[in-house]
Amino acid sequence: MSRATTTGRTKLPPEQPSIPQRSGGTGAYWLYLLPGFVLLLVIVIVPLVWNLYLTFTKWRGVRSPEFIGLENWQKILTDSDFWTSFTNSVWMILAMVVVPTIVGLIVAALLFDVVGRKFGGKVGSFLRATYYLPQILPIAVAGIVIGWIVRPGGDGALNQILGWFGVPPYDWLGQMPSALIVLMVVMVWVQLGYPVVVFMAALQRVDPELYEAAELDGANWFQRFSAITMSIIRPEIFVVTLTCTIAALKVFGPVYIITRGGPAGATLVPAYYAYQEFFTKRNVGYGATIATVLTIVVVIVSIIFIRVQNSLERKERAGL
Amino acid sequence: MARNTRRTKALVAMAALTATGVALSGCTAGSGDDGGDGETLKLWHYEGADSAMGKAWAEAITIFEEETGATVEFEEKSFEQIQKTASQVLDTDAAPDLMEFNKGNATAGFLASTGLIADISDAVEEYGWDEKLAPSLQTTAKYDEAGVMGGDTWFGVPNYGEFVGVYYNEDAFAEAGLEIPTTYEEFVAVLDAFVAQGVTPLAEAGAEYPLGQLWYQLALLEGDRGFVDDYQLYKDEVDWQGPEVTAATETLKEYVDKGYIASDVSSVKAEDAGVSFINGTSPIFVSGSWWFGRFVTEATGFDWSMAAFPGADLSLGSSGNLWVVPENAANADLAYEFIDITMRPEIQAIIGNNGGLPVAADTADITDEKSAELIETFNGVLEADGLSFYPDWPAPGFYDVIVQELQGLVTGVQDVKTTNTNLGEQYDEGTAEYR
Repeated sequence: MSRATTTGRTKLPPEQPSIPQRSGGTGAYWLYLLPGFVLLLVIVIVPLVWNLYLTFTKWRGVRSPEFIGLENWQKILTDSDFWTSFTNSVWMILAMVVVPTIVGLIVAALLFDVVGRKFGGKVGSFLRATYYLPQILPIAVAGIVIGWIVRPGGDGALNQILGWFGVPPYDWLGQMPSALIVLMVVMVWVQLGYPVVVFMAALQRVDPELYEAAELDGANWFQRFSAITMSIIRPEIFVVTLTCTIAALKVFGPVYIITRGGPAGATLVPAYYAYQEFFTKRNVGYGATIATVLTIVVVIVSIIFIRVQNSLERKERAGL
Repeated sequence: MARNTRRTKALVAMAALTATGVALSGCTAGSGDDGGDGETLKLWHYEGADSAMGKAWAEAITIFEEETGATVEFEEKSFEQIQKTASQVLDTDAAPDLMEFNKGNATAGFLASTGLIADISDAVEEYGWDEKLAPSLQTTAKYDEAGVMGGDTWFGVPNYGEFVGVYYNEDAFAEAGLEIPTTYEEFVAVLDAFVAQGVTPLAEAGAEYPLGQLWYQLALLEGDRGFVDDYQLYKDEVDWQGPEVTAATETLKEYVDKGYIASDVSSVKAEDAGVSFINGTSPIFVSGSWWFGRFVTEATGFDWSMAAFPGADLSLGSSGNLWVVPENAANADLAYEFIDITMRPEIQAIIGNNGGLPVAADTADITDEKSAELIETFNGVLEADGLSFYPDWPAPGFYDVIVQELQGLVTGVQDVKTTNTNLGEQYDEGTAEYR
């Protein structure tokens, strides 16, 4: 729109920055890319190929691996612990992606649109920082504190508080559904700050006049949120969702610190399961197989996300 | 030009950093090169400085340096650190000359079978260590080609022993009008009596080793040496629905159902169970001699004692951790000299007088009365050939399996038969390559 109105009067900036071309070709530029390629090769590609090779072997971590063909891949198909771990990944996605993203969107919009306007930017910034605090807390420290809070018997803080209301002590980490629920609540608490900070940064791009215009047109807060906020910060929503999904799929630290996969495997996740096979059972080949499946899932999820995002952007550009 | 100057400075800074890194790595390599000169013993162990063994090793280091003129380059490691990464390090030039390592098929046996630790049979014979160690203590020091303990080749030397028994809060017993039990029937009667008085008698921990050890002790009540040999040394198949395992799993379930153990045991850690005995909350704690020294220091509000599990001919226990000499050790001879010093009566006495269980001490050197009682109990187990090792030893990672399956049992998620079946499947899978 703005481009059409200005075409006749000013010179349009070029679509791409102009790069001066040398007569000698682009060969020299490859030299600059070389360190990156070398690092990619050493840090990503070689270990990836080696990991893939290990999935066809039986190996205890020392001496030479023994080639066993597809045994590990056959085993993984019928391994109930493996499938439990991936089922738990779905719960982790709920706790680390779905809830934090939705709540983060609402919190960010409220902080920016309501708190920021009524109480000033400093109050909004302070609240944003408090939401982000769990992100900078080492998970080992957080895990110990959570352990104290949900400690069984009458000693735990949660049981003590519930005790004031006559609720008997409960073994939060020792029972099947509650251990997973506690872990999920912890992850929501840890994750929430990340989307809030990203979304609030994105909201800086929103022209306040848009909100004022919408307000004058009689739009309520939810209508402004859905029509203005959501559409403008959509790229950030994609980034947050994608990075959080990857983090949820490969979550390890909280499980290791808080539950060690227990009780009875109720909180087992693929990364912790792979760790167990690698380091405690010394089934390196099988651990590599679990890690490979996890990598494949992460790559597939990433491709789907990026494709959907690109498709939506294309539709938006086309005005659909 | 200014930009070029900055770039040059940046390059110089990077080059300097790189050179520093190279120099530092050179220093590290240099320190590794010190090995092999017969003047430096590179030693790793993971005993806390305040523990009986930590104190004994510290004194041994002093004596070693005085007598040999060599220097000990000691690196304090954690148990987990050595357990999980030693196999990678031992295959390199960074390997120490002497290292403390956990005993058993899945640990020292694994290193032995892969050739990462040295056959020290000649040194054992030369120094006569075999004459100082009771036969049941030798089992965990000797392995066969597959890494199964009880073999013919010496791969380690233990300096101390350990066993699992029962700690009793004698004041709590007196207050409840109960006697310390001497038979299993009396033990159960005591548990019932405490429950009737509203006390949960057993300190337990389902998130870590104590519950699994109690489970194995209950199996040992039904089993004999043949069962232990089948389970630990793979002499024959273990019947996972047989009388020993079934009785153990059923009885453990009953312990929870009857309130002998708290219903929230599955998330309790060993530390918490130990503390509940120390603070007098639980009057009985089934666990190892490794708690003894700590209880001496911390459980001071009441009289307590420790005895072997009542009515059991077999007890969990073994030699302590082993001194092993890596195959890549640069100064193996110095390592043997150090081991020999740790076997001397004066070093053994330090272990004995600080709550440890020495394997070659002169009883006259044990001046601490409570330690003397513990050593007497341990010697009773040794004389009865009662050491039966630990339930998680047969297969790598079986510790996690036992914890997980018993959690399933005590939380009511799975029944006795399913628990035994799951344990059996994991055991068979984990031990397949040793059979």
